[in-house]
Formats: sequence, C-alpha cells, structure tokens
Amino acid sequence: MSDFMQQVLDSAATGSPPWLQDWQRAGRQRWQASTLPGRKTEQWKYTSLQGLQQRFVAANSGDVELSAAGVALPQLGGPRLVFVNGFYSPAQSSLESLPPGASLVRFSDADDQQAKRIRAHLGLATGRDEPLFTALNEAAMSDGVFLDIAPGASLAEPIHVVWVSANQGEAFSVTQRLLVLCGESSSASVIEHFAGGAGGQRSFTNGVTELLLQAGATLCHYRLHLEQEAALHIGRVQARLATGATLNSFHLALGSELKRIDLVVDYCGEGAHCELNGVYLPRGTEHVDYHTCIEHRVPNCTSSETFRGIVGDSATAVFNGRIHIHRDAQKTRAQLNNRNLLTSTQAEVNTKPELEIYADDVQCAHGATVAQLDELALHYLRSRGVSRAAGEVMLSFGFINEVIESIRCEALRDYLQPMLAARFARDPALVGQVA
Amino acid sequence: MSQEHIDQAISREYSAGFISAIESDTLPPGLDEEVICWISHKKGEPDWLLQWRLEAYRGFRQMEEPTWAHVHYPPIDLEAVSYYSSPRSMKDGPKSLDEVDPELLATYAKLGIPLHEQEVLAGVAVDAVFDSVSVATTFRGKLAEAGVIFCPISEAVHSHPELVRKYLGTVVPRKDNYYAALNSAVFSDGSFVYIPKGVRCPMELSTYFRINEAKTGQFERTLIIADEGSHVSYLEGCTAPMRDENQLHAAVVELVALDGAQIKYSTVQNWYPGDAQGRGGIYNFVTKRGVAHRDAKISWTQVETGSAVTWKYPSCILRGDNSVGEFYSVALTNNFQQADTGTKMIHLGKNTRSTIISKGISAGASSNAYRGLVRMSPKAAGARNYTQCDSLLIGDRCAAHTFPYIESRNPSAVVEHEATTSKVSEDQLYLCQQRGLDAEKAVSMIVNGFCKEVFKELPMEFAVEAGKLLEVSLEGSVG
Repeated sequence: MSDFMQQVLDSAATGSPPWLQDWQRAGRQRWQASTLPGRKTEQWKYTSLQGLQQRFVAANSGDVELSAAGVALPQLGGPRLVFVNGFYSPAQSSLESLPPGASLVRFSDADDQQAKRIRAHLGLATGRDEPLFTALNEAAMSDGVFLDIAPGASLAEPIHVVWVSANQGEAFSVTQRLLVLCGESSSASVIEHFAGGAGGQRSFTNGVTELLLQAGATLCHYRLHLEQEAALHIGRVQARLATGATLNSFHLALGSELKRIDLVVDYCGEGAHCELNGVYLPRGTEHVDYHTCIEHRVPNCTSSETFRGIVGDSATAVFNGRIHIHRDAQKTRAQLNNRNLLTSTQAEVNTKPELEIYADDVQCAHGATVAQLDELALHYLRSRGVSRAAGEVMLSFGFINEVIESIRCEALRDYLQPMLAARFARDPALVGQVA
Repeated sequence: MSQEHIDQAISREYSAGFISAIESDTLPPGLDEEVICWISHKKGEPDWLLQWRLEAYRGFRQMEEPTWAHVHYPPIDLEAVSYYSSPRSMKDGPKSLDEVDPELLATYAKLGIPLHEQEVLAGVAVDAVFDSVSVATTFRGKLAEAGVIFCPISEAVHSHPELVRKYLGTVVPRKDNYYAALNSAVFSDGSFVYIPKGVRCPMELSTYFRINEAKTGQFERTLIIADEGSHVSYLEGCTAPMRDENQLHAAVVELVALDGAQIKYSTVQNWYPGDAQGRGGIYNFVTKRGVAHRDAKISWTQVETGSAVTWKYPSCILRGDNSVGEFYSVALTNNFQQADTGTKMIHLGKNTRSTIISKGISAGASSNAYRGLVRMSPKAAGARNYTQCDSLLIGDRCAAHTFPYIESRNPSAVVEHEATTSKVSEDQLYLCQQRGLDAEKAVSMIVNGFCKEVFKELPMEFAVEAGKLLEVSLEGSVG
C-alpha cells in the first residue's frame, strides 16, 4: 500500500485511549497488506482513486473560526455536536437539550463503563470481512461518536452531528466515525451533516457510520454531503436491522472531486423495513458515486429505494444499487428505482441496478433511466410565458423535489428546498420561481 | 406407470443425447503452434490465415481466463481437449446430399432436421457442422442464382478469399477476449454468408452444430456479411451427446450489416446440459457480435436451454446513424445449469435505437444471470434504448440475477431499464389446475406465456421447437 496516509496513521496512534489503539493496530495491518483498487476492480470500475495519489497529513483544528450560524440549521432545535477537521468543538456544539434516554459519548472521552459498551457494539455492522477503507478508518480512528438510545425512548428532536472541513496548511485527512445504537422499541432521528471545503484546499474524509437497530426500533437517518469541490470523501453507512426495525434513510450529495458513498443495509430479523432515498447533484468536473447494497438475509422483510441524480457540466455520477436476497429470505419485497437527468453534453452517468436472488417466493423489481429534461414539458411551460431557463430550473427542481418531500423532518426539508433551488438557478433572479 | 412409460420419460430427458458411431479423424489432445499449423495445413489454408491464427494464439497465451461471470466450474484443462475432429467418411468431400454418410443423415433425422425433407417442406438451406467440419450444405444452387454465397468458411477461404480477408476479425478482433482468441487460433469450420447489394435472401439460412466425438472441443466461426440494402434471416441450432465429462464449445460469430442491410440471427441452443446431478454437459463460451452501419438493423433472438455453463453476450455495435439493434432472449436453466448471458448495445451513431427483451427462467438448483451493457457514446444524439429483463423462479433452490450496466454520455439519449423477479403465481397455477391441467402442464403453459414476446420473434419452425424444448427442459422441476 502506498504510504500517502503514513503521517496520518502515525499521528493517530498518539494520545488515543489504549482500547482504541488495539483497533488502530488491527486496521493498520489490514490496510497495509492491501493495495488501492484500480478500475479493474468491479466495485471501482467507474471511480478513479487518482485523487488520493498525494500525501495527506493529519488534520489540526484548522485556521478558520467558524461561526455557529454557519453550521446550524435554522429552525432545527435539539442537540448539536460539531467537529472541525475531526476535532470536537465545544464552542459550537450545544448539548443542553439532549433528552433523557439518549446519551452522546465521544470515544476519546469514554469512561470504562462507556468504553466497554462501545467496544461491545463497534464493528458489529461493518463485520469482520470489512472493506479496505473501513480498515483505513479504523487504523486512523482517534475519536468517534457513540449515540446510545435507551430501549423505549422516543426522541422528538433530531440529533444533529456536523463535520466541518476547515482550511489548514496542507492537504489533510479527517477520519469520521459514528456509532448509533437504537435500543428496543426506541425511536430517534439523526442528521449527519458534512460541510466545508470551500477554500479550495484538498481534504480527504474517510467516514464510517454504523447504525444498529434493535428489535422494533425506528430510526430516521439523514446524511447530507454538502462539502465543496476540494473535499474528497470516501464514506460508508452500514445499518443492521433486527426484528421489526424500521430505518428511514435519506442521502444528499453535492459533488466534489471524489465522493464515494457505500450504503449497506443488513436485515438480521424478520419484519424489518427500510426506506432508502437519495439525491446527487454533481456539476463542474465533480464526481459522485453511490453504491448501495440491501442484504435481505431473513424472510418477510421489505425495502424500497429511490435515488435521483441531476448531472451537469462535465460531471460524472455513478450509481450501483444491489439487492441481494439470500437463500430462504422468502416473502421479501424489494424495489429500487434510479433516475438520472443529464443536463450537458459533457456529463456522464453510469448506473447499474443489480438483483441477486436466491429465493423464489419474492417480489423484486428495479428500474433505471437516463435522459434529459422532457422537451414537451418545457414547451408547455414556455407556451405559458415561462422562460426556457426558468422552465429548466423548475423541472429540475421538481425532479428531485419528489424525493426531498419524503424527508420527514420538516425543519430539514425547509432548509434544503431553498438551498437546492438556489443551486439550480445560477441566476439568483430565478430562485424565487421555485422556492 | 408401466415400465414402458418410465423408459419413455427417462429418454425424454435429453432427446438429442445419442452418440453416432461414425469413424472420425481426431487430433490427439493438446494445444501448441504445431497443432495450429496442422489444422491450417489440413484445411489447405493460405499462409495469411495461418499467420493470422498464430498471431491470435500468441495473444491468447498472454491472456487470462475471465472470472467475472457469475458461474462456477472447475478449471478447464485446454491441453486435454482435441482441437480437430472430422467424420472420416467426409474425407473425399460429398458433392451432394446423396454422397453424405447415411448414418450422418440418420443422425439428423433423429434430431428432427431431415435434410431432404427440409429441402422440400421448409425451404431452408442448411449448413450442418458435425464436430468440426461442415458436412453438407443444401440448396446451394438456388442460392447461387440470387448471388448469395452460403458455404463452409473453410471453403470460402479458397473461393472468396477477398471477402473473408476483408471482414474476418473486424467485428470480433482476434484478441477480443480469452475464448475469442482461442477460437481465432484453432477455429475449424463454420458458416460463411454473403448477401450481395440489394438482395433479399430467397430463403432462411440455417446452420446446425453437433459435437459428437468424445473429448473434443468445437470452435466454429461464423461470418455473415449483408451488403448494402440486403436482407437475411439466419438460424442456428446445436446439440451434443450425453457424456459424463464436460466438453468445450467456444464459437465466434461476426455479423456485418452494411448500409441499410438487415440481419436476423436466431439461435436455439440445446447443447447437453449435464444430468440431474450436474455431471457432464457443455461449457458454452461464445462471442457473438454484429456491426450495424447506417440505417442497418441487427436482430438477435436466442432460446437457450442447454449447456452446463453458458457465457454468451450477443452484441450490437450501432455504428451508423439510424441503425437498430435488437436482442430477444429466453434463457432457461434447470438442475445444476449455470447461465450468464445478456447483450451489449453500443450506441455510436445518431438516432440509433435498441431494444432488449430478456426472459430468464431458473428451476432446480440452477443459476441464471442477465448481464447487459447499454452504452450511449457522446455522439449518439437522439439514441434510444429500452430494456426489459424479467426473471421467473421455479423452486426454492434456484437463483436469478440481473446485472445491467448503463453508461450514458449524451444528454439527448434516452435509456430505460426495468427488471422484475417473481415466481410462478399461485393464483395462475390454481386457475389452470382448476380447469383440469396438471401442475407440470400448467407451469409449462405459464412459462410459454412468459416467453411469448421472444417466441414471436422466432421463425415459425423454430418457435414450435423452442416451445417444446422449454417443456422438456422443465420436466421434473415442479411438484
């Protein structure tokens, strides 16, 4: 393995609690024993890791003082946890409103009792035979967040976890880790929010989030990748659903030089349900790659997945949606839908919805489309006096708004809708037309 | 049930699984440059073709066996395969059907393609490839009148060297992939078709392949050239005897549809699939590809019921503007069969269109995968693709997969893909049984309905055969 992360790994080892160092050692061994995948590896066929071919150093807390307003979502109360370049920022976090039944612990801050609980659950969702970048995540993991929701607890407000990349001297790397444990019959929502990278300096975030849903638990999970162009991100969300659990997961990615997100949902108990939705909007020369995998291991579960993308300029989008129905996972219902809009002659979409089915009494379907905006619809709008540019913005926004509407958290929806409208309407005068 | 009935039922398993006791010239197993020289010499080939083969062989030696397909089989020992086998009585070359070994003809009769009868009834011109060489080509006179050339490729090398040299390897390059390279090095025979400008081929052309000899591989090569504005429909059928060992079949088919030409290529593939325990059967690793120039159309229709392992992706390169590609497929796997099949539609020209209809049926402990690629290149303005892949599962030990790759680099191109997987619905079965059909018959009927869209694309004689084949192949998978 090339040593572009050498300095990061070395510095991670210092100052971490001993139990975390065991993880680091194991991760480092696996990482160093492997090589970076190239285009010949099926999983990386359309995504080049060329962007990683430079030296990254461990992050420090950055030279930019962020104002709390920059990371907070208006209208969203509730607890907020902010990390700048991977470092906890108490000044910008607000944990006063953390409701009873929920506890937030940082790995580096955990007492013996808490550390024991973290160790009992960390890595449960990622499993043993973990992918390369998860090994790297563990090798460089010096902190993380453990959100522990007690059985039966019901949290009204979402918990907002923000990771900000702020400029520092040279290209730097951030390791992010979140572990969410939803106790039996609990219900909660979590917003993971990535921001920053506007200064044009390269950063590389390697993120892993584990969601463990125990029997009957319900979790709404939102992961927003709002980082800019220079922020490289290789991330993974790994969820494990026990009997009767429900996961509602929404993903949004603006592009960057390299953004690759793997989403894996593992069904371990019957009667579980997952809804997985997402929107990706690369433009410029950006690249977004979503790989999703639904592992139906047990009978009587359902899943529904919708991803939509609008790809402009000379951007590239990759989508790979796999539904894997294991032997004996009878009575499964799974469906997946991926639709893409290409808005420029230079843009590119590579999509692959996959079905791998080993049980017969199942109902599965997937669909994928790639096209441009409907000329007829545009014509209709123009015949009613809407300019072509405005019509395009309206239709593009409408295309993804169907997915945005599925967000249950109203405050989040209210935040995203005008923001995305503004993204499509590069001419500010057009924003008002849609938002 | 009487003994007679039982015997009948057993023999129905694979009706083409007999071995014809025909004396044959077979090369000892093994593969090196000498073998290639020997084959080339034996066939009296010109030097350019020998060099072409050797170049392919050297490329092949650099290549590795592909492992990306969703199939599992023990490694194939290419040194244990014999690369040439010809029925001995063919040595002097029959000039007409009367000179063909009567036992050979009886073999065909057993398979339901009596040449004489077909000559009269069906009006189909047949080129039959037995093991490695072409044994008989019927109706040549009549075709020659229309200017159509239809002959074994080994003969075309001599009689029409300019055409063969111009087009051979232009669609499937020598080093395209592992099995295509192997085929290019050792191909023994196959069909050659040339339809002159503006000619509508007066009858359907047909090739029939059979592997007979033990421990031999079959490496046929088909080249079809439809000149500007011409039209041809070509049928292909295949069978092999029942043997415990696995036999290798690595064919290459190249289609060239020049401006405004239309080629329709239909296959009913019924190689021996192995027995109910998964022993034996043919490894079918085939490269089929066509290039469609301006306003041309290439249509692949296939019914795949045989082979232990199938690895086959008939593809269309839509090079010319307004060209059309079609792929209609039914792939059925039963027992321990494995299939990884699909198509590639490469849209290069403007306003090119393609349609993919794929129906996969898995029964027993088999595995059936659709793997397809639709690529819209930056120049394919206004191109259109529609893909539909449906899978039907029969029994809880089988598997069905769908791996469609969609790559679009043109905003005005429209790609639509949909796929579904389900089992034979209990309601449908119940309805049929309520009306007095037994379960097996009912399933066969439902399956036939499921495949209807593809069957209607097949020429009539083939459609009937395909329906029967499905029925036979599904035997024992219900109840």
